[in-house]
Amino acid sequence: MSVLEVAALRREVGQAQILRGIDLKVEPGEAIGIIGPSGSGKSSLLRCIAGLDPIVSGRVLVAGKAAVPGDGAIGMVFQHFGLWPHLTARENVALALKLVRKLPRKEADAKAEAALARVGLSAQAGRKPAGLSGGQQQRVAIARTLAMEPRVLLFDEPTAALDPELTTEVLDVIRDLAAAGTTMLVVSHEMGFIAGLSSRVMFLDHGQVVQVAPPREMFGPDAEPRVKGFLKTYLDRVAWAQG
Amino acid sequence: MMAVFSDSMVAAARGLPVTLIIWLTAVAAGMALGFAVGALRFFAPRAVVWPLVAVVEVVRGTPFLVQCFLLYFGGPFIGIDLSPPLAGFLALSVYGAAYFSEIFRAGFLAVPPAQLEAARLLGLSRMQIVWRIMLPVMALGVLPALTNLAVILIKETAVLSIITVPEFTFRLQAVGSASFAVVETTLVLALGYWALTEATAFLARRVEKRIERALAA
Repeated sequence: MSVLEVAALRREVGQAQILRGIDLKVEPGEAIGIIGPSGSGKSSLLRCIAGLDPIVSGRVLVAGKAAVPGDGAIGMVFQHFGLWPHLTARENVALALKLVRKLPRKEADAKAEAALARVGLSAQAGRKPAGLSGGQQQRVAIARTLAMEPRVLLFDEPTAALDPELTTEVLDVIRDLAAAGTTMLVVSHEMGFIAGLSSRVMFLDHGQVVQVAPPREMFGPDAEPRVKGFLKTYLDRVAWAQG
Repeated sequence: MMAVFSDSMVAAARGLPVTLIIWLTAVAAGMALGFAVGALRFFAPRAVVWPLVAVVEVVRGTPFLVQCFLLYFGGPFIGIDLSPPLAGFLALSVYGAAYFSEIFRAGFLAVPPAQLEAARLLGLSRMQIVWRIMLPVMALGVLPALTNLAVILIKETAVLSIITVPEFTFRLQAVGSASFAVVETTLVLALGYWALTEATAFLARRVEKRIERALAA
């Protein structure tokens, strides 16, 4: 059974059609890359799957059940981290374990430490967000989501606010998670990363799916013309850098 | 002259504690009520929000003096017969709550959406989000505005003399009119209120520093 099933998902804001009937089935352990121009509905799709934005019609099922925000089935990592500034990294990760999972303090802290270790931040557990780099903050946000053990992880442009070096440290963490079998949907403009990470890539434009294909096909010569047009600028840049 | 001075000191000694008690309790009650209203305006359904907005607008749109009159002299007509200090405390609390609620509402609005969405997705309840996330995150931002309003409310306590609350202004005015030394007693009043507001601002700055330290890495 698919771990995530999105069917005929539509979202409208006033007259504007944000998502025009999206279908997607994700198998356990898959990493789906979502690419497309700005305003194509990539982030909206993730937000609708997470239940943060209302939909007009369609459905989202996680392991066969309708997902409700906060039920723990879906975890999301945001572009702007969303860490709570008054709490240390450990407290950020442990808070929901204590309040929602009702774990005793010691157990929650131990689990938080383990999640932080997984993203390589054991040494920074006692620091508040203001004392961490952007890349470290995003890794704490990933640890916070991981600790709740969601069935599906959504990444909404997780490196858009980071410089190239910090981007690399965050992408490495996401790559490790994918290699370990975490089911995930990743919206990103890091094309090389998406190509290397994804089992399948989805290209969105104007709220519609233009193509879903394995990376080799999506980034190869036989992609849809709209996809090729979009990727051309990126490939030109890479070609320029490689001389 | 010395008699006026000693009478003023005695009056101040009697009136200042009343001013302080009414002010502190009204600030506490007004802040709690204002926080509740601010939070409800953020979370509650429209049917609850509209009446709250109406009350806040009426309180903000009428002079405090008029509100005191209505409560103290108008109250008995509808069976609310309050002692002057209790009427003063209630009037000041409600008046403060209307303004406090706006400060808290602005604070709630200033919390970055990603912090709230993250909390929601992780399964925190609305109450947990308000207490564990929103309140601490906005504390530093709203503190200067809260202090400012608390200082304004100290000065508003003087209005309570009109409904015969035996507070600082009421006591000093009595000395002034008995001795005809109106200027001198008014000067004592000015200095007294100024000292109170300075002390409040000093304390607030220390609280601000504490919160700053708590938020620092």
